[in-house]
Amino acid sequence: MGRAQLSGETVPQPVPAPDSGTSTRQRAWLGPEWKLGYAFTLPLILVLVTLVAYPFVSGIILSFQNKTIGGQARWVGLDNYIELLTGDQYASVFWNTVRVSLVYTVVSVAVKLLFGLLMALMMNEQFRGRMLIRALLFLPWATPTIIVALTWRWILDGSINGLINLFRVEYLGAETLIQFLADPDKVLWFVILVVIWQGTPFYTMMLLAGLQSIPSDQYEAASLDGANTFQRFRDITIPGLMPAITITVLLSSIWTANSINFIYAMTRGGPSNATMTFPMLAYEIGIAGGRQLGMAAAVSVLFFPLFIVAIYILTKRMLSSEGQQ
Amino acid sequence: MIQAASGDRAQNPILKWLRRNALHSIVLPVGITIFLIWTLFPYLWILATSLKPNRDIFVNATIIPERVTLEHYRYIVTSSDFQTYFRNSAIVAITTTLIAMLIAVFAAYALTRLRFIGREFVARATIVTYLIPASLLFIPLFQVAFQLKLTDRLWGLVIIYLIFSVPFSTWMTISYFNTVPSELQDAALVDGASRVRALFSIFLPLSLPALAVVALFTFTVAWNEFLFALLLISRDSQKTIPVGLTEFVRGDTYQWGRLMAGSLIASLPPVIIYFVSQRWVVSGLAGGAIKG
Repeated sequence: MGRAQLSGETVPQPVPAPDSGTSTRQRAWLGPEWKLGYAFTLPLILVLVTLVAYPFVSGIILSFQNKTIGGQARWVGLDNYIELLTGDQYASVFWNTVRVSLVYTVVSVAVKLLFGLLMALMMNEQFRGRMLIRALLFLPWATPTIIVALTWRWILDGSINGLINLFRVEYLGAETLIQFLADPDKVLWFVILVVIWQGTPFYTMMLLAGLQSIPSDQYEAASLDGANTFQRFRDITIPGLMPAITITVLLSSIWTANSINFIYAMTRGGPSNATMTFPMLAYEIGIAGGRQLGMAAAVSVLFFPLFIVAIYILTKRMLSSEGQQ
Repeated sequence: MIQAASGDRAQNPILKWLRRNALHSIVLPVGITIFLIWTLFPYLWILATSLKPNRDIFVNATIIPERVTLEHYRYIVTSSDFQTYFRNSAIVAITTTLIAMLIAVFAAYALTRLRFIGREFVARATIVTYLIPASLLFIPLFQVAFQLKLTDRLWGLVIIYLIFSVPFSTWMTISYFNTVPSELQDAALVDGASRVRALFSIFLPLSLPALAVVALFTFTVAWNEFLFALLLISRDSQKTIPVGLTEFVRGDTYQWGRLMAGSLIASLPPVIIYFVSQRWVVSGLAGGAIKG
């Protein structure tokens, strides 16, 4: 999808004024405009190095240490990892977190893709009021996540005052209240529901952009060949959408798995760790309860390999405009 | 439509019409209606709750407000805490956006139009940085922020927000600068304009609408940010809106009326921005991809 193309400079450039301070050989190696190039990118590089690369490396180092906030760091080698994977205190929580994170991410992404595809297909049709309806359907994407989470917590409230329970009692004559967010067997599904509610518009937008990039003459040709609606969908729409689907799913998997807002505002990982995804666990161990920064860093590091593949593919796709074809 | 069916082949015209138009006349409206209800009912619930007196929220709860009151809005608008949160959010989001855009415009120009060693690498690093999940960084950043005394300060938040706003706006700006024809700049350079002049007199004016959209997105993301605001700010006077709102659910008393009124007001800036820039959003997404 990335229209950006870094090697896009094909038109020959005017020869820059001779630079007396630099020899031709140096210039050939560093590039003709290296001084200005680095002057312009220096702030960017500073941000990347100090705010991302440095914390990234220090997070990995931290994961080999026993460190509390304000306390002295002590090197403990692989102890944090061993404790998380096999220890008495954390292993059961950790493996539960692996399961919860996978269910949470995979189910959310799959349903968002399905709903997003349906919405995009409908929004791609011509009908009256399309722009208005499109704007309304995309509203959840523009609403602050924390507000979405708080609102849904109020919709799913276990008391008679929550919208769903109120509706059931007022209109359906229900006599018991459903504890949507307090029942460990159900809670994860309701949190996923909220994630889907907010995340679907992003899929709709990305897939709509993808649909609009499929040339319409392909459909016309297929119609002339006698292909029916389903065949056209299978043979043209789906292949044409694959690049958009790949990018959307990868981006969304990274963001969904790593978002803490919904869980924090709705359940704090509870009840009984039923919604404990790994960023929430890192928060609980590192900041809220245990204040063990080293152990918390190890949680994050253990999950990072899952994202490397996604980041690798996305980087390649976003850098090459060929990737979208 | 029905006349068309009265040809020589005698068929049930209704069936034929259905077969031809089922998708457009039935599936489409029904599907859109379902998705609209699914999307919009939470907003109606926010609105309904925010307009009910507390008695009707907690004691005689009904879905549709029976008595309408503006007391929650009055409380929110006159609450000095909420005013502080709102102002803090505005300061942080605007400052973050301005700094990020400034860094992004120069970097994107260099990365698309200047030839120097390491250009590819810096561009690649920008994307990787954009994709690296914040959850991987928040524990070490929390530690760093403490060492550097960035906690409980608005500018501390601004610095932290550069983590996502700079790579994102740089990447988006790159994709817009790439659409500026090289010939325009070449002509100016032949005329003796400097690189900086070319950037300001050719690239910026041509991509101004696009840059405005990038700025609006960056503003929205900074306005909505929750995790780092929660981690780094504990003093009330420095809280931003997303964290400030969660104050209303502290303890056992849930101030749902106030919370919903506050939520509605807090959503206004991003939602207004979104409606204004809506028609560029799809193409913007196609160009860069924004959080989802």
